[in-house]
Amino acid sequence: MIDPVELQVLTGALRAVCEEMGAVLIRSAHSANIKERRDASTALFDPAGQMVMQAEHIPVHLGAMPSAVAAVLEEEHAPGRSWILNDPYRGGTHLPDITVITPIYAGEELVAFAANRAHHADVGGPTPGSMPADSRTLDEEGVIIPPRVLDDEALSELSAQMRRPEQRRADLRAQLAANRLAARRLAELVQRAGLETVKQAFKEVLDYAERRTRACLEELEDGSRRGRDVLEGADGDLELVLEATVEGDRLILDFSGSAAQHDGNLNCPLAVTQSACYFALRVLTDPDIPASAGAYRPVEVIAPEGSLLNARPPAAVVGGNVETSSRVADVILGAFGHALGQGTMNNVTLGSEDVVYYETIGGGQGACADADGPSGVHVAMSNTLNTPIEALELEFPLRVVEYALRRGSGGEGRQRGGDGVVRELEAIAPLHYSLITERRRHGPPGAAGGKPGAPGRNLLDGQELEPKSIGRLQEGQRLRIETPGGGGYGAPE
Amino acid sequence: MLLGVDVGGTFTDAVLAVDGRLVTAKTPTTPKDQSEGVMTAVEAVLKRAERSPREVSAFAHGMTVATNALLEGRVARTALVVTEGFTDLIALGRQNRPQLYRLCAAWPAPLVPDELRFGAPERTTPEGALDRLEPQAARALADKVAEQSPDAVAVALLHSYRHPEHERLLGEALAEALPDAHISLSHEVVGTFREFERAATTEIDAALSPLLRSYLRQLVSRAEAQELLEPAIMQSNGGLIDAETAAEHASWTVLSGPAGGTSGAAFIAAQVGSEDALCFDMGGTSCDVCVVEGGSVHERGSGWVAGRPLALPMVAVHTVGAGGGSIAWRDAGGALRVGPRSAGADPGPACYGRGGNEPTVTDANLMLGYLPSDVALGAEVQLDRRLAEEAVGELARSLELKPMACAEGIVRVANAEMVRALRVMTVERGVDPRRFALLAFGGAGPLHAPAIAEELGITEILCPAASGVLAALGLVVSPRRRDAQRTVLLSGDELTRERVSEVVAELARAGRDALKDGDAEIAATYELRYRGQAFELPVEADADCGPGELREAFEALHEERYGYRDADQEIELVTIRVSTAVPGATVELAGPEPGQGSLERGRREAVLHGERLELETLRGLPAPGAKIASPAVVELPSSTVLVAPGWSGEVDPTGTIRLVREERG
Repeated sequence: MIDPVELQVLTGALRAVCEEMGAVLIRSAHSANIKERRDASTALFDPAGQMVMQAEHIPVHLGAMPSAVAAVLEEEHAPGRSWILNDPYRGGTHLPDITVITPIYAGEELVAFAANRAHHADVGGPTPGSMPADSRTLDEEGVIIPPRVLDDEALSELSAQMRRPEQRRADLRAQLAANRLAARRLAELVQRAGLETVKQAFKEVLDYAERRTRACLEELEDGSRRGRDVLEGADGDLELVLEATVEGDRLILDFSGSAAQHDGNLNCPLAVTQSACYFALRVLTDPDIPASAGAYRPVEVIAPEGSLLNARPPAAVVGGNVETSSRVADVILGAFGHALGQGTMNNVTLGSEDVVYYETIGGGQGACADADGPSGVHVAMSNTLNTPIEALELEFPLRVVEYALRRGSGGEGRQRGGDGVVRELEAIAPLHYSLITERRRHGPPGAAGGKPGAPGRNLLDGQELEPKSIGRLQEGQRLRIETPGGGGYGAPE
Repeated sequence: MLLGVDVGGTFTDAVLAVDGRLVTAKTPTTPKDQSEGVMTAVEAVLKRAERSPREVSAFAHGMTVATNALLEGRVARTALVVTEGFTDLIALGRQNRPQLYRLCAAWPAPLVPDELRFGAPERTTPEGALDRLEPQAARALADKVAEQSPDAVAVALLHSYRHPEHERLLGEALAEALPDAHISLSHEVVGTFREFERAATTEIDAALSPLLRSYLRQLVSRAEAQELLEPAIMQSNGGLIDAETAAEHASWTVLSGPAGGTSGAAFIAAQVGSEDALCFDMGGTSCDVCVVEGGSVHERGSGWVAGRPLALPMVAVHTVGAGGGSIAWRDAGGALRVGPRSAGADPGPACYGRGGNEPTVTDANLMLGYLPSDVALGAEVQLDRRLAEEAVGELARSLELKPMACAEGIVRVANAEMVRALRVMTVERGVDPRRFALLAFGGAGPLHAPAIAEELGITEILCPAASGVLAALGLVVSPRRRDAQRTVLLSGDELTRERVSEVVAELARAGRDALKDGDAEIAATYELRYRGQAFELPVEADADCGPGELREAFEALHEERYGYRDADQEIELVTIRVSTAVPGATVELAGPEPGQGSLERGRREAVLHGERLELETLRGLPAPGAKIASPAVVELPSSTVLVAPGWSGEVDPTGTIRLVREERG
């Protein structure tokens, strides 16, 4: 048993290791997604595969990292051996997110796993950027990597199947470097504190996070709450329903009755649904609780197999990770009385065989009971940075025509929802485009009498496009994205 | 005769270097008009030295005018001109939210409101002007801006780091339309790419400059009235600049105060013979950490102040919320936490007896026997041990710890926080802390130093006798300096020795002109990356560096920081920064004067690692050459030094106590 002092000291040390891993990955990566947008996560696991600590860069990876380590747990490990995977049905989320896992040894003994996940600019498949708006099965979304050893051979073989193989190799090297750093730091920690103490600390951090979460859940009123929202499928709306029950220090999130998996790509593997639930949990409890699997023990997530939220192969999933995840968080927060934010990442992918550019665009945040919703920010499962216009125009055949707040798009209320964003891009060479967006038909709801935010719009030279669409931009054509405003809170005065 | 005056939150400190001797004075800060307190401090120090203002040959000043104005939002009525279509640039920022789970937490609002943002009818691309800004359009826009009667205007156009012509044109038109307004052009203030950071820094520059100008005008006239020469002003980069230039560019002096402190730390490190030192300054509410390597303070190319980006070179200072007044508490999961809340100076720690009843780091130190309860601390407050025991005791019960274990726990958790700050500045940047000395400042710094050093594997600790006027001391010895930077984005065939030396020469010329010294020393920093990366690593190298040398230096650093190099990747030179400097004065740190004060010896019981031990206490200034055996505490006038078991101390000629880790037998 370690005392409250040791607990605090070691919690800090483990968090510092994860954050430093993240810094190495982000600062040395080449994909714009990782380096500018910080679409990456790093974590430490115990030998049983429990996630002890995670550095939080982007919430969509929160609950989805454990399944990656679980997928390689039974493999044969050895010092110096690392694993790679992206198969959403075997530890992954969607194909562009590649996870690298490295066992860490103290002498002969396996003491931990370091894992990190990063969104690569391209993982092959028919659409540059591997974010196709129109995929119907997983194999249309890129190269599927079941868990395998990551050695030089795998590095060459896999990157050869993707666009910009030299960039893929560089990103994977950055991912390996992050895990190696974790191994080094953990060895130092073992040297300072002793192996038994570090092992004990792993256990204690998990229990501590659990205690903190339970203490917060105790303070929520017992009972059931219901939530309902929709996703905008190509063939019509797909319904999500929720019964959220607080029972003492437990939370049960039951999505039974939600739409079945569909023919498009809004499907989620269970791990992605769990991530969204854990995000909402962290909003509803104290954000100071360490991001550790222990924090999630008091939560039960029920999502029937074969539903949109627990899809079976070979369903396409690329939009599930970026869009359905946001809606899952929305349904939960809505059930607990929150006004909702834009509820979409506004995924824009532009590319050719030579270049790939992917961006997500901020929008309005839902208002809170005591504050207006911020404008022009990422609101839920994403928190990536924009690519500076000056960096974008140096690197890609694109020109930004306008980048502004979309004034008046936030929902009215005693507290106003945040405004969305207008972003207009002009192609200066022919480019393929793929848009995966939501909240184009239904604006984000307000709460307590607050009005909904304005739905978003996608326009090609002034002509409105579908929420999910693909096509080609000729030189001089302009793509304009207007992102949704956030919902208001309280009846407008 | 050199004079340095630093304005802090509570005190204004003055240091006078006269005939190789340092004379100091401390007077209260006058928040309404800091220049009043500056002159009081000047008078006090001159009186003590029995000198007249006319004898001062250099006067350097560090201040918090710009920082405070930024924190409090007291800024000039400022307009912003941005390329049409992008006037919300400063509101959009980088589109991330500041806190992941507190959804309505917002970034600080732009300093320029909506109605004072103007779009310029122009568009420049990386290749040059796409839509040319016509002179008459520039004049028309300037007139429109003038109708709003702003006191300051910031201009930030897309790609101006490379093509500044349109900004210049607007600058001229605005100067004509608004002859009394301050005008900041982004290519002059910042000069690097990434539009949000450049625009936001230019916005700060414009919004603060009018205020800074009136403060400096006031100060200069007060100085003139006393027949004192005009002050040079400390910038965020640790160098001094003339008052006129400082008033032109308030963004350059936002970290004036902390920069003085780091210069002082570097000076003391050099004086005690340590070119490589990790410095930590533990105050009441927080602890500042910086690294001195090879005699100079580590810098960074940009940073954040009060939630706003500052895309300018600055001394690298890392601050964590662990100070003597930091409050210890039990969180809902049963862990012992320290800070970030602080009892501050009022009510202060429980043992101050001013009504504070929450346990602080100072209370823990008192309970453990490291601080005296029989005399006043720093001649200010008498510490009440009983009150400390009550406050710590209550926390101990809630944590199910023995009171002494709880007190030791508080100190350990606070130490862990400071150790993390030091690791961020060293280990995480590929710097091995073990080859550095630990330089401890602040009242309680030297008390915590042994434990921190042990955690980092450091074997030498330096505790200067007079650390109370660190920043003012730094001002006296700082160089005059001017930085100029430009984003060049050169790679492949474009990256040549000729092109590099051409830009360096141009930036150096600008710096030397500004310093009015054609022989000023120059130092070039090259920010490089593998083509395709988004973050650069700064490499210091010669002024006429070739691509091969740049590559080698960059790759070595990349390997050190990130653990690998990539021979297949092209390198890209993103930004060239040239710092032009005229070295500051050389001052010798003299030791305590012979016969000054007497050393009072005593004994006190203390607790360390759960065991009771008897400390020797030494009160006063020990004489140079004196040896101090562990376990002991030395109660200096403004700080307390712990000579922990395993360490031995010796006083050097400057009065600094040097602790060395004894070889483990």
